[in-house]
Amino acid sequence: MFPLPMKIFSFLMSGSSMGTFVTWAFYIIFAFWVLYTLVAIYHWLKYSHASLIAIPSIIVHLAISFALISYALFGNASFLSSILP
Amino acid sequence: MKEFELAPDEHIVRESRKHWFVFLAVLLPFIIIAIIPFALPRVITLVPQLAQYATWFDYTATTPRLVLGIWLLITWTGAWSAFTRFYLSVFVLTNKRIANIKQHGYFSIEVSILFLSNVQDVTTDVSGFLPSIFGMGDIIVQSAGAIDEFRMRNIPRPEQMRDMLLRYISEQSKNTSV
Repeated sequence: MFPLPMKIFSFLMSGSSMGTFVTWAFYIIFAFWVLYTLVAIYHWLKYSHASLIAIPSIIVHLAISFALISYALFGNASFLSSILP
Repeated sequence: MKEFELAPDEHIVRESRKHWFVFLAVLLPFIIIAIIPFALPRVITLVPQLAQYATWFDYTATTPRLVLGIWLLITWTGAWSAFTRFYLSVFVLTNKRIANIKQHGYFSIEVSILFLSNVQDVTTDVSGFLPSIFGMGDIIVQSAGAIDEFRMRNIPRPEQMRDMLLRYISEQSKNTSV
């Protein structure tokens, strides 16, 4: 019924091409995540440094992000394990 | 405040952000995006022709798990970024002026300042079902200065903010007339 997507998927799944593609995609996204996080932290600390929410917000972001990165790489989502498959 | 310097005899009276409902509306697309990889496998099994693709969503396998992790990481970072913009956009009322700080995006911040001595008229506008239910609305400040109209959108309890503004405007006019 839907031969084309299946063919593409089979091609990608063959050998290491899919794994290599996903690994490189992950590296690029991780680099963007680092940049984005640094920029956001800079803004929090510059414009809302006196706010009670600034530091907790940064800590929550880093904790959830590291849990998701750990889940993606090792399958261990730490405190998010109960809600992730 | 990094966005503007307070004068020696100036103090902040109130800081007000947009209503939490506005943030919830901004957050909604991220919630939907986060749910998609969990909902899609269930939807696919309902369509017999698509059932063969259900294996793509077996998150116990390494590659689908990696893709899910990346998907959720991007979604989470986007949602947190939306919260950052929401929180850093703020209306500040001091005993001398009002400031509207708009964080449009990273490295894009707009700060409008209006001195209370220039204010001519203050209007509140609460229109619509949800704004009436949740108590949010706009405050429109007419001024005699370079900025004709100063609008604070979707702030919680605009009547309180208006009354506070009017109180400080009258105090300001008393001080200048003495």
